[in-house]
Order: sequence, then C-alpha cells, then structure tokens
Amino acid sequence: MRRLPKAAGWALALILVAATAPRAAAYPEMEAWVEAHSGRSVDCAMCHTHPDGPEGVKAGQIRSLDAEELARLNQARAAFEPGAGVDSPILNDFGDRILNDVGKRRFLEIRATDPGLLVNALGEEGDLDGDGIPDATEYAEGTDPLDPQHGAPLSLLRHNLARYWFDLLMLALATACGLYGLNHLLEWAQRAAQREAVEEPPPRGGGVIP
Amino acid sequence: MSRTISRWTSRALDYLATRLPLEHLSFRSLVEKKEVPVHRMSWAYYLGGLAILFFAVQLVTGLMLLFYYEPTVSDAHASVEHITRHVVGGALVRNLHTWAASAMILTLLAHLLTTFAMKAFARPRELTWVTGVVLLLVVFAFGFTGYLLPWHQIAVNATKVGLQSIEEMGTYLPAALADLPGQLRVLIQGGPAVGQATLSRFYALHVVVLPLVFLALLGLHLLSVQLHGMSPGVDRPTGRTEGFFPFFVLKDFSLWGVVFMLLFAVALVLPFESFFSYPLFAAYDPLGSTPDGIKPEWYFFFVYYPLELLPFWLVSLLSGAATAVLVAAPWIFRRSSRRTLSLLALAAALYLFVVTVFGQAIYETFRGGGG
Repeated sequence: MRRLPKAAGWALALILVAATAPRAAAYPEMEAWVEAHSGRSVDCAMCHTHPDGPEGVKAGQIRSLDAEELARLNQARAAFEPGAGVDSPILNDFGDRILNDVGKRRFLEIRATDPGLLVNALGEEGDLDGDGIPDATEYAEGTDPLDPQHGAPLSLLRHNLARYWFDLLMLALATACGLYGLNHLLEWAQRAAQREAVEEPPPRGGGVIP
Repeated sequence: MSRTISRWTSRALDYLATRLPLEHLSFRSLVEKKEVPVHRMSWAYYLGGLAILFFAVQLVTGLMLLFYYEPTVSDAHASVEHITRHVVGGALVRNLHTWAASAMILTLLAHLLTTFAMKAFARPRELTWVTGVVLLLVVFAFGFTGYLLPWHQIAVNATKVGLQSIEEMGTYLPAALADLPGQLRVLIQGGPAVGQATLSRFYALHVVVLPLVFLALLGLHLLSVQLHGMSPGVDRPTGRTEGFFPFFVLKDFSLWGVVFMLLFAVALVLPFESFFSYPLFAAYDPLGSTPDGIKPEWYFFFVYYPLELLPFWLVSLLSGAATAVLVAAPWIFRRSSRRTLSLLALAAALYLFVVTVFGQAIYETFRGGGG
C-alpha cells in the first residue's frame, strides 16, 4: 500500500522537473540570431523534430530513439561534408537539408562565427514547403520553412498574388458581372419608381420621413 | 392589490407593444412602405447587414470545418493540421473562417459606435439596442470559445489566462461570494485544469449553444429593426429617403459582393497565422515549454493590455461599469444630443484603435521589455 503513493510521488516530481526545466536549445546562437534579425520568436522546431530540442525522452528526442534511429543519428553526426544523404531522427526536413547542403563542418564554422552566413550558404534554391519563399529567407525571417501557410506576410502576399493571379482575376470578373447585373436591376427599379411617380404621387424611393 | 397587479401588467404590455409594434408586421409595412433616410451618415445603415454577411460566412465555413475537426485533446491539433495541409481548399476555408471572425467583430464594433452616435437607441428602439449589445457579447464568446479549438500553444495558454481572470474576481468580492468566480471557472473548465472537459464544453458552446442563442437574438434584433424602420440618425433630417426594397436591398447586395470578394482574396493570399510566430501554433504540450508571445485575439486587446498594466480590480470595475453603461445607454443618454454622443463614440473608437494597434508598444514603454 505504501509503494503506490511513493511511486506516484516520484512520477509527480519527474513531471514537475520536466515541466519546469529550462528548454535546452541545441544551437542557441542560431536561435538568438534569427530572433534578433527577424523580430519573431522561434524555437528548436525550426530544424529539430521536437520544439524543445534534441535532449530528452519525448518522441524525436535522443533518449527516445531505438537502435535503428541511433544509427541514423550517428550517420548524421558524422556528415561533415555536404551530400551525405542525412536523415536524422532528431532533425526535421529543414535540419536534414542544412546538413546535406552545407555539411556539419561548415555549419559549425558558421555557428561559431556568424549564424547569418547560413542564409548565403543555403542559397536561394530550396523551398521545402513550396510556399514560394526560399528556405534561407524563411530562416532569416524566422518563419516555418516547412509550413506553406507560414511566412513573412509581405513575402507570402507577393508570392501568392503571383501564384493565384488567375483565380483572383476570375474572382474580380465574377464580382464585376454580379455588380453589373445588380446595378441594372437598380436602374430598372428607379425607372419603374419614376414612372409610378408620374402616374400616382407620392413617389416610391423619394419620399419624406413620416 | 389586484388593481395594482393589473395596472403593472397593463403598463408592461403597453411598454412591450410600443417596443414591438406587431401591427406593423405586414408585407406592406416591412417591404412596400419601408423607407431608409438619406443623409451624411447613411453609410452606417449598411454595417448591420455587413455583419450578417460575415456571420453567414462563419456559419458556412464553420460547417465545412466540422466535417474534419476532431474535438479531442489528442486529435484536435492534428485534425486542424490535416484540414490545412491535406484537405482540398482546407487552408482557404480556415482562412476565410478566421478572417471573417475578425471582420465580423470589427464591423460590429463600428455598427455599435455609429448606432450610438446616431442615437438610434432612443425610444422606442431600446430593445433593438439591448439585443444588439448582447449579440456583441455573444460574438466575443464565440471568439473566446473558438480560440481554444485548434488546441495549439497560444490557444490553450491564452484560454488558461482568460479563465484565471475569472477566478481572480473572487479576491475582490465579499467573503460570502468570494468562491463564486472560482466555481464558475471550474464549471466552464469542466475540471480543475484546462483539459478534455474544457475542450468538449467550448466545442459544444461554439458550434451548438452560441449559434442558437445568436440566431434567436438576431431574429429579435432584426424583427425590432424591421418593425420600427431605420432611425432618423441625424438631428436635422434632409427629408430625403429611399425605398428599403428594392433600392437599399440591391445596394446592400452590391456591397456584400465587393466585401466578399475582398474577404475571399485576402483569405486566399494572406494566411492569418503568418502574422504570428510559428511556435505559438505547435500542438499544446502540458510538459513542454511555453513559447513567448501568448496573447488573446486582437479584439480582446482593449481589456488585455489594461489588465497587464493596471490593477486587476480597477480594470474589472471599469469593464463592468462600461458594460452596464452600454446596456443602459437608452436610458442614461436619453437626453443627450447627437453631438455629445458622437464625441463619446469618437473617444471610444480612438481608445479601441490606440490600445489595439499600439497596446504592445505602450506596454513595453511602461514595463520596459518585450511581452
């Protein structure tokens, strides 16, 4: 009988520690640069699977990995040069892309010198979420490179205007046709009211407040 | 005694008969003979109809979202992500729903302020005004309950803050009533903390209870508007009017067409969530860290920033007083001129604009740091 409350106590303590523990950012320099540059708050989920970073026991964190995932993690850790085909269990597609395009050696240099250099290193090519904003720009602007609904509003607006121009044109045409019809209906009603006014005062549509 | 009762009953019936003149309930009165005054404030007559358009958009898009949304803490966020990323047109429908919610509240606030400035609440239109104010409160309740449904970080944490405020009210009440706000919080939450019971309750409120209440109140509001006709709106009427049907109605439809086009275009090219930091939209994790920037929706800023800067009791007192004044406006401002009312409405509009747009900057100036 005494073991259950003790176990529950430990479980509660563990939960409290986990809940109150400060978030261990994997690369705080990168996060700090993005936040200072973009004015938006970001978290580890920009590159990692888990928003609280790689350390921990939850899904996507190191202590939750099985043997096969650990093997992939070690492969990613050894990917010093670009093009190693990284598929890390603790990184998301953007994190993998950084290692595959830049390589871990160059990435560590960038992190130590100036995290802003990653923008040039990634180039304007990749756009993992297909929202029209290059991943490098999303990194600099502090937006989610894997969410097509997320980007700096102006960049997204510019791209979407170009992307949906035909839909917008059709929308404007449909509205214009509707307005044309309504306007003619209004004109017809006004003429009918005028005709009625000539035949029988007081007029409709031109009366006086009672 | 019986004479007193019958006198009061007769007075009450007279009062109701003046506020709801059902003898005007005819096709001739409501359609053929109804006139809309034409003057410099005539544009304000279109705001109520515009709010109805946004409500209709909310209703249709909300029904579409219901087909896919899962109201459970384990699946709510995933189902919203599924709608946004995998359902054809899902992102557009979500954006329409979110943008229309904001547009509806903005329109309702403008409707309220212009109606106040035009003294459209004056006798015999008190019922129209009171139902209108209650409708606005119901719309705020729509916003509060709907905010939680995606079950992401900002949703759950902002709801927790909102519910916490209810409990804090108990601190300022007499001992006999001190527990009431806490009990109310538990009643709304459905338990000691925000969880599945809260989500189920907010979901039921958002998709069933509030729409029914809203439709009933809207029916009464529109009936009252139709029975009394449009208020004159200005001190010196121009004497010019236009027929409600078909002239005003056709112009209303034209405006609806243009506004719907704009709403659709904005929803297509500008996702609402792009204005916020992405960590706020991660699935809520009770054991994870809380991201920065947890705030309610913009239409609660007028009370949120004062709460951040001023003592809770003061803001609660002012909010309560403002709500009471708003509801009782037809009686409090019975003798006020339209000029005075316009100045008051302008001051209220200025307050709402400044706190909503510059609230964060004001907060940082006084507290010296990011929020």
